[in-house]
Amino acid sequence: MKRLLRLYKPFTNAGIQEMVVYRVNFLFFLLGEIMKCFVMFFVWKAVFESSNGETLYGFTYPQMVVYLFISFLCGYLSYSDGSYAIGKEVLDGSIAMRMIKPVNFDMCFLFQELGSKIIQVTMIFLPITVGVELFRFFTSGEILAVHHLLLFIVSMILAYGINFYFNLSYGFLAFFLKNLWGTDIIKGVIIDFLSGATIPLAFMGGFGKILGFLPFASLSYTPVMIYMGMYDTKQILFYLGLQVIWLGVFILISKLVLKSAMKRLVVHGG
Amino acid sequence: MENKEIMIEVHDLRKDFKKTIKEPGLKGSFKALFKPKHEIISAVDGISFQVPKGEIIGFIGPNGAGKSTVIKMLTGILTPTSGECRIGGKIPTQNRKEYVKEIGVVFGQRTQLWWDLALRETYMVLKEIYEIPDEDYEKRMKFLNEVLELDDFITSPVRTLSLGQRMRADIAASLLHNPKVLFLDEPTIGLDVVVKDSIRKAIQKINQENGTTVILTTHDLEDIELLCERIVMIDKGKKVFDGPLSELKMRFGQMRELHFELKDADSFEILKYSEDFSFGEEDLTVDKNGSEVNVRFNSDTVSVEQMLSYTLSKVHVKDINVKDADIEEIIRRLYLGGGNLIEETSQTV
Amino acid sequence: MRRILKLHSIFIKQDLKKIMEYKVDFLLGAVGFVLTQAVQILCLGFIFAAIPALCYTVNGEVLDSWTFEEVLFIYGFSLIPKGIDHLLYDNLWGLGYWIVDKGDFDKYLTRPLSPWIYILCEKFCVDAFGDLIVGIALIVYSLCTMPADTLMAINPWRIIPILIVIPFAVSIFTSIKTGTAAISFWTKRSGHITHMCYMTNEFAKYPAKIYNGFVKTLITYILPFALTAYYPAIYLLRGEELWSIPVTVLVAAVFFVISQIVWRRGLRAYESAGS
Repeated sequence: MKRLLRLYKPFTNAGIQEMVVYRVNFLFFLLGEIMKCFVMFFVWKAVFESSNGETLYGFTYPQMVVYLFISFLCGYLSYSDGSYAIGKEVLDGSIAMRMIKPVNFDMCFLFQELGSKIIQVTMIFLPITVGVELFRFFTSGEILAVHHLLLFIVSMILAYGINFYFNLSYGFLAFFLKNLWGTDIIKGVIIDFLSGATIPLAFMGGFGKILGFLPFASLSYTPVMIYMGMYDTKQILFYLGLQVIWLGVFILISKLVLKSAMKRLVVHGG
Repeated sequence: MENKEIMIEVHDLRKDFKKTIKEPGLKGSFKALFKPKHEIISAVDGISFQVPKGEIIGFIGPNGAGKSTVIKMLTGILTPTSGECRIGGKIPTQNRKEYVKEIGVVFGQRTQLWWDLALRETYMVLKEIYEIPDEDYEKRMKFLNEVLELDDFITSPVRTLSLGQRMRADIAASLLHNPKVLFLDEPTIGLDVVVKDSIRKAIQKINQENGTTVILTTHDLEDIELLCERIVMIDKGKKVFDGPLSELKMRFGQMRELHFELKDADSFEILKYSEDFSFGEEDLTVDKNGSEVNVRFNSDTVSVEQMLSYTLSKVHVKDINVKDADIEEIIRRLYLGGGNLIEETSQTV
Repeated sequence: MRRILKLHSIFIKQDLKKIMEYKVDFLLGAVGFVLTQAVQILCLGFIFAAIPALCYTVNGEVLDSWTFEEVLFIYGFSLIPKGIDHLLYDNLWGLGYWIVDKGDFDKYLTRPLSPWIYILCEKFCVDAFGDLIVGIALIVYSLCTMPADTLMAINPWRIIPILIVIPFAVSIFTSIKTGTAAISFWTKRSGHITHMCYMTNEFAKYPAKIYNGFVKTLITYILPFALTAYYPAIYLLRGEELWSIPVTVLVAAVFFVISQIVWRRGLRAYESAGS
């Protein structure tokens, strides 16, 4: 373990440094992205004021706001594009340079991304959660339970793993398809929708229940619901188990796709 | 030279840049963010020269010497910190829109054409941009077609062109409006010998037929040798040489390169060039890579014949050859010499 | 001026040809953009399934309300000026993200043309058809599904001020992009600043009254996207907020002047620093 850390620390450092340099840019980008949350914050406020009951599909307004921001946070923390870089390297052949070194190359990317994740977490996790919790406390008197936070972190790490290996598989596939930009947009929209990032799955009735079992829900809906304390112990165990299964499935798929991609690379001679 | 019209006049041109210093490591990048330190760097440090109309002049110097900064000031992209340059009597950054109609610019490293447009359409766009009348345009295209042989690929999109075709296309694009001065920044970079040759011929022909003044920067000695009557060498923002190529070669051309492959790599030990001959410090460099050996030496001090017979008498070689020093070598020696050579050369000639 | 139009038309023709050349790419891109909007609208549908109308209330008292159709109309209208700017002047994004950073800006300075105009007319972004198609579809759909009496209450003459105001609304988008993209002349990259300001237009898709005072001021005067969407749309629907028509023209003019000043300063900074 110690050797592992020593080996990959430079990659993590490189990721951090890159993030620091682009820190300001990242901040602006984030402010732009979070704008959508604030738009929905006001829209939901009007929606709840327009409805007759206190709750909509089991959500109160404060819960809705928590959902809105925490699912945004999840989307960010589980986002992974290091995989994209691998796909690119496989196809232009530069991956060979990584293959000849005695390091596991998907680990290099993972750790490099981890570096930038550390910065992201410190930069956005704290302000968003503190803000959200203050809002929750003053509007409903409730507050985040410690065990929910811990379980959320576990679920978040699983979600990141799923996303990483999902994107890894997708990255290779997209290169076979030769179109990244268009399919990327489509992928993003579909994932946002199916993972419950745009609107809680509970709003979609029976359809939403089915979506709950798909890997997309594992990316964002599961951790958010755990964070909010909307799941009981049995449900938490069930959905965490589901996340582990999906993680395993995607690791397997990515290995298979990588293998066939490498074969193609060898056939074509780089 | 006196009776020729002066096209480019540069007087004590200077350009300072403010540079942020970043210390290495994580700590450094944090520091740079919160308390950036600045440093003033003189990229161009008081350069003066004149170019008569119709001359081809070569700009040489190592990377980062300030060549492209000079070119950028001459083309109106950068404003000089102080000093003055006039091209055809005009100051580039004053009324740039008028000025750039009189010059053509080619940056070898990046194209100025539109990636997705067919070449012909690219020229149509430029025709509009430069407001070239139809008649002139036709005539001009015909001439450029002849010189640069564009016909084979004029209907292809720019992105499908080979590097050599793209360079020809770029040069043609810079000449459509019949500029008085043509700036070529590394026009032969990355090209193969045949293409290089055709581009050089084209530049020559354009220069002769239209009397276009040409300023080119390059790292290729042959470009200079075949095209330029005169070279200006820049290092660390200062002019270190200004004169005809023959003069430079006369002073520094006596460097030769002896290249051979040893039968037995260990026999290298026997060769003691520095002990057995009395070379000065800058007159000899020996590089060994496996069984391959490269010896650069000053043939004024020790003749080629002497070196050859010494080497052959000491060791067994598989292969041996002698080459003239290339421009890199001349430049290297100039820099090792350090100082300003302008006074020196003017004394010797 | 004629020269510029001619230039622009060459690039437009070229980019249209490109659609034919890369049919699949274009299709996938357009599908992506349409899908992005479709998903948001679907979510609006889910939300409105639970409430009769979107209300603006103060202390429990309903002061104003918008039906689902009206919200869709405002949403669709917001995509029109945005889409036109996206279609014609998309290249400004490139300036802030990579043109200056990679040193590609030099070529714009070696042409006898204002670099700003040159950049603007160099690209015709066909992806914007996604925005425009969804926008028009939403406007048509919402008008068709509206209750007859609401529809009959619309005075057709209101279309004239709207047509006048649209170019100014487009210019608000273009000016904000110009001003923020010009920051890259100092910092090399400013695409993220453009992105941040640009995203504020998300607020304009919904009735401005539902926001608090700060946001309302922001989207009316500071980054005046509400003037490009909600206000003209609600004027067209109900004849309310007539003041916003001349204000939009005025604000567009002010923003144009400011963005040009920033651009010129930036250009001077670029000339003295290079890259």
